[in-house]
Amino acid sequence: MRTISKKLNNEEIEAFGKEVDSLREEVMSKVGKEDADHIRFIYKAYRYTEVLGRGLIHFSFEPISFVAGTLLLATSKIINNMELGHNVLHGQYDWMNDPRFNSRTFEWDIVCDAHQWKFYHNYMHHTFTNVLNKDHDYGYNFTRLTEGQKWKPVHLTQPFTNLFLAMNFQWGIGAHGFRVEHLEIPKKQRNKRSLKDFKKVFFKKIELQVVKDYLLFPVLAGLNFPKIILGNMIANLIRNLWTYAVIFCGHFTENAESFTTDEIVGETKAQWYLRQLKGSSNLEGSKLFYTMTGHLSHQIEHHMFPGMPAIRYREVAPRLKEICEKYGQHYNTGSFLKQFASVWKRIIAYSFPDSIAGKLMGNRKVYLEPKGMISQPSFQISLPAKEKSVTLT
Amino acid sequence: MKTFPFIYNQPKEFLKFLQPGDWADFLLGEINPRFSVTTVKAKVIAVREETADAKTLVLKPNWLWKGFVSGQHVPVTIEIAGRRVTRFYSLSSFPGEKYLSITVKRQAGGLVSNFINQNIKKGDLLELGEPSGEFVLPKVLPSKILFLAGGSGITPIHSILKQLQANQFKGKVTLLYFVRSYEDIILHSSLEEIVKATGFLEIRYIFSDVPREGFDSGFLTKEILQKYTDDIKSYSVYVCGPGPMQTKALSLLEGNEVKSELFLLPGQSQLKVKKTGTVDVFLSLSHKTIQVKGERSLLEELEDQGIYPPSGCRMGICHTCVCKKSAGSVTDLSKGEVSELGEENIQICISRAESNLELEL
Ligand code: FES
Repeated sequence: MRTISKKLNNEEIEAFGKEVDSLREEVMSKVGKEDADHIRFIYKAYRYTEVLGRGLIHFSFEPISFVAGTLLLATSKIINNMELGHNVLHGQYDWMNDPRFNSRTFEWDIVCDAHQWKFYHNYMHHTFTNVLNKDHDYGYNFTRLTEGQKWKPVHLTQPFTNLFLAMNFQWGIGAHGFRVEHLEIPKKQRNKRSLKDFKKVFFKKIELQVVKDYLLFPVLAGLNFPKIILGNMIANLIRNLWTYAVIFCGHFTENAESFTTDEIVGETKAQWYLRQLKGSSNLEGSKLFYTMTGHLSHQIEHHMFPGMPAIRYREVAPRLKEICEKYGQHYNTGSFLKQFASVWKRIIAYSFPDSIAGKLMGNRKVYLEPKGMISQPSFQISLPAKEKSVTLT
Repeated sequence: MKTFPFIYNQPKEFLKFLQPGDWADFLLGEINPRFSVTTVKAKVIAVREETADAKTLVLKPNWLWKGFVSGQHVPVTIEIAGRRVTRFYSLSSFPGEKYLSITVKRQAGGLVSNFINQNIKKGDLLELGEPSGEFVLPKVLPSKILFLAGGSGITPIHSILKQLQANQFKGKVTLLYFVRSYEDIILHSSLEEIVKATGFLEIRYIFSDVPREGFDSGFLTKEILQKYTDDIKSYSVYVCGPGPMQTKALSLLEGNEVKSELFLLPGQSQLKVKKTGTVDVFLSLSHKTIQVKGERSLLEELEDQGIYPPSGCRMGICHTCVCKKSAGSVTDLSKGEVSELGEENIQICISRAESNLELEL
């Protein structure tokens, strides 16, 4: 595995894990009214944007209010999926004992069924983050993002398929769900029936969503129906592009690492923390930006503490970063544009065979030992021999 | 209807998916927090101090409140540090009054009773469930009634007394109220008012901790019963108070018609067991396996580990906590019965793990 972090020995890894754990405990003990108020505020924002958005689309007679309505509806869908849905479905607010914010009862405004999503996201993706063949989110099956995936000519098309995916992201997520569930059944028990059952769940959710956005609301508008359909389509499109961008920035930036199934055999909690760190990347921005990403801007914190109310990541991040610096671990962060560009660099680079991909991806940052921190004689940078140039930053 | 098979077959589910109730609640709630179409929300319009450690909350419920019968209790949900918790309290007012009231005495270590006494103030909002309970007057009123109250057990009895007053009861009522000291008498002035205003009621306060001249002291005994009743067999008896008092009363009153109400804090109703070792609980929806001791209810043991399934009353009444068990067996704490091994729905607030379990959580 190629890493730009310092190689730690076992004691160091465990010490690192301990510090992360105690950080987690400290912050979790503070969870209470503030967090409840936050999610209720988010809920309000989601409801208001939806009422206003749909209202404006319905009663608009000129383009400006139509555009405003569509943007509001898109915002509503983004809030519903990200800061509200994603976090509630992680069980971050189960402790409130409020059915509106409980991971067992929540369903969201997207064609992906919440139950299916919890299986492949909360369980598969969060347990096996960036482990090839185990984390089905890694490249969503058709994107090659590392040397660990064998190159095939079809990968040449991946810049285009990714554009397509970005525009239809909710469908990708939804269709992904039932397939993963099917794939995770032991081979012998897999059959057409089980696949059909999983598909059924997905189709049902599609039906509910499509009827709501493209039949029910348009019908309510009478002859004005084309406008409603268009507004809903654009709102869904904006939401898709946005979630695609945020989610791809979370794990597929150029310095996010991937792992093999062999590497995670017998992994300890501390090693798991470390893998979450190496496999994730953050985005920097304003508080509004954080909220609109559902705090997936703090992907690293989210992956280490998926059950922690997301707004807490803001206070955790600087402290976690300090711990990482202390242990010489690369903390992958950057502006949205920078990270998104690096995702696309990777998508394009790995669409080519390794010889070309290696060249394109050549400039990788390398771990620099911080001054005055733990120094370890056995310190080494592990880079494949074929690496040509090494930029020290 | 091949195109939309689900909506065609389950139109109700589609409607539910649109969340009409949540929408209405949200919009109404923005107008007035008390408004709702799904939940009884009540505003605290006055807080009265009864004793040093008991308060009466006067409540104004919304239009969904359907009334109650004197002696019944109601689940009350309040929010403490962002978390909704539910407890049962008897209504201390009687149905003829304009507003409702509950009277809450602090319990040692009681989360909700202490919170209500310390923090609830005029203007706060709480949620009420449906009133229930059999601790009520029969259709045909008996001529002689004996009430045995212990501590905060006076609240439903107070409500019944007010009801009797309103009905201009013609019989005879004796109330023996066991309480720690004179200062601890809950709803004291109101009880005295009933005595003054009507002719049917006789009250004896009996102090268990701090004796007072002119009053009896001690606990419920045969002697006390005999002292204040003539021919005990001719009374209808209502008992409400702590466990030991109830047990005593029931043994002394064998042969009588006795109605009793016992309030337990959640978790108290459980048969205490000593177990060694732990059992594994596999949560199939979240793909977690956790170890529990099997000493308390599953709900409590899960919560100890940071897993919070929805819950309500926590005493087996509301079914909020129902969850599918796919394998393993549990003890139903309300009945003390051990369940089958197979698949069934269980209420995790009153189920204790017996063997390794698989829950759909
Ligand atoms: S919480 Fe009410 S039945 Fe379990």
